[in-house]
Amino acid sequence: MAACRKALTLCRLSSRIESARFFHRWQRPTFQQLYKLRKMAGPEAEKPRSAQTNWNRDGELYAFGERLGELLGARTLDRAFTHESYVAREEEERRRLGIAREEEEGGKLDVDHNGALIERGTAIVSTYTKAYLRHQLPNLPEEGICAIHDYLTSDNMLEYIGSNLGMKDLILSEDFPVRTHTVGQTFRAVVGALANDQGEERAQLFVQDFVLTQLVNQDVSEMWTLVNPMGVLTMILQQRGMVLPEPRILRSTGSSTVVACYVVGIYSNKQLIGQAPGETEITAEEMAARDALAGIFGIRNAAATLKLGTAGRHLTIDPAARNPSLDSLCGRPLGGDSATVSMAAT
Amino acid sequence: MSSATRTSAYLKNILQNGVGRYVCQLQRVTFQFCKSRGDSKGIRDFIETHLVDFAKQNAGVAVYVQPRRHRRPYVIAEYLNGAKVDFCVHEQNADEVSRWLEHLRTRCGVQIQRLRKQHHTDHPSIQGQWTPFVNLPTELNTTQFPSENLSRAIQRQPTATQKILDMAAKQQAASGDQGSENKPV
Repeated sequence: MAACRKALTLCRLSSRIESARFFHRWQRPTFQQLYKLRKMAGPEAEKPRSAQTNWNRDGELYAFGERLGELLGARTLDRAFTHESYVAREEEERRRLGIAREEEEGGKLDVDHNGALIERGTAIVSTYTKAYLRHQLPNLPEEGICAIHDYLTSDNMLEYIGSNLGMKDLILSEDFPVRTHTVGQTFRAVVGALANDQGEERAQLFVQDFVLTQLVNQDVSEMWTLVNPMGVLTMILQQRGMVLPEPRILRSTGSSTVVACYVVGIYSNKQLIGQAPGETEITAEEMAARDALAGIFGIRNAAATLKLGTAGRHLTIDPAARNPSLDSLCGRPLGGDSATVSMAAT
Repeated sequence: MSSATRTSAYLKNILQNGVGRYVCQLQRVTFQFCKSRGDSKGIRDFIETHLVDFAKQNAGVAVYVQPRRHRRPYVIAEYLNGAKVDFCVHEQNADEVSRWLEHLRTRCGVQIQRLRKQHHTDHPSIQGQWTPFVNLPTELNTTQFPSENLSRAIQRQPTATQKILDMAAKQQAASGDQGSENKPV
């Protein structure tokens, strides 16, 4: 195997040979052999970026803070990227090698990990996302707010954001390649570090700029769907003392063909409150009810109306405010989770 | 190369950059050069005169300088999306290196491809997408087909027969008037 590795190094070097007017006779059989060895050895194992020679962790950490436009201390940043699993592994390694210093009890390292920062960051990400959504979508029931919150603060989403901010290379953790959950936790730790160093308001703006902007171009109504929209619509209109909904076919075409299309409108007191197309009357009616509900909840064009960027800088958000729940809008309990399906659950 | 064989893409924005705050997508830049070879002269001049200013102005970009004996000079840019661009600055002067570096700094790291469109909008139509139902009179919903009224051929201009009949009527009217004038009182 060692010979194989040596041959592969040769192969890499030979690819750097600059142009010549001929091929040596030894080249073809040599490269054939090298190709065989490469296939036998399989692909090279993935290595962390820090394994390369052009890597300076302090410089990278400083650049990370500057890139985000935040003033973060070197020590705080280092702490935010150091996971508990890394510290545990290092201690274990030291104990195994017998190089634990005498002042360290049982090989304990004097290195801070990001446990506390994760805790603080998780709370800020969660609380602020919900408070912002409640402020921007005041008519959306609490269940809908929670569904959008779950979509935005899931590990997958935070991993996507974190890795596109260059967090993956900096993480000190036991696992490599870094797991989705670890990157998500690191993002939360960075938010926690911001709150510690620069105050909670800066941390909230960070969440607004990087997490809530992910709603742009997304259809909010797809993140939270009701199982029985017509029933819910009827109950809401009843509770508000309005005339009960009346579905009407507005348009229809090709009803005897496989590409039938019906456009159904929902009327209440002769006012059109929602309409949608569908391939059968029943589907169209259901979709029209969803459209009417989207109108009532104010989420028809939610992503375009969110106040982000400069418009979102001076919002007065009340963290204690709560939106009405779906049960209170309907005037009777709907039976908990069975009434709604959120995207995170499906 | 024809456009059919080149890969194509739509405009895209990584992480909705700029909606909240702008983040420079260049993460790391490495200058590789030889201390003695002539083709590295430009990059060496650049490192002596411009590099510190660049690093100060772009604190969010990690800068590395790697001397390598007897090899071509390279500027290697690494982006936040994981893309890496190796750019050879063989025999370029400091000014050219500086300008290429600016090009690398202002890129977002997405592979350069033929763009299907030079613009992007979330609202392609203010009025909404056209469907066969747009501006269709609602009374058609309740009309019984075949309908005699709707089956009739639509005539936008008078027919030749109609024109001749009109002319004849006009002539008759004129001759009638003349006749009345010539009538003895």
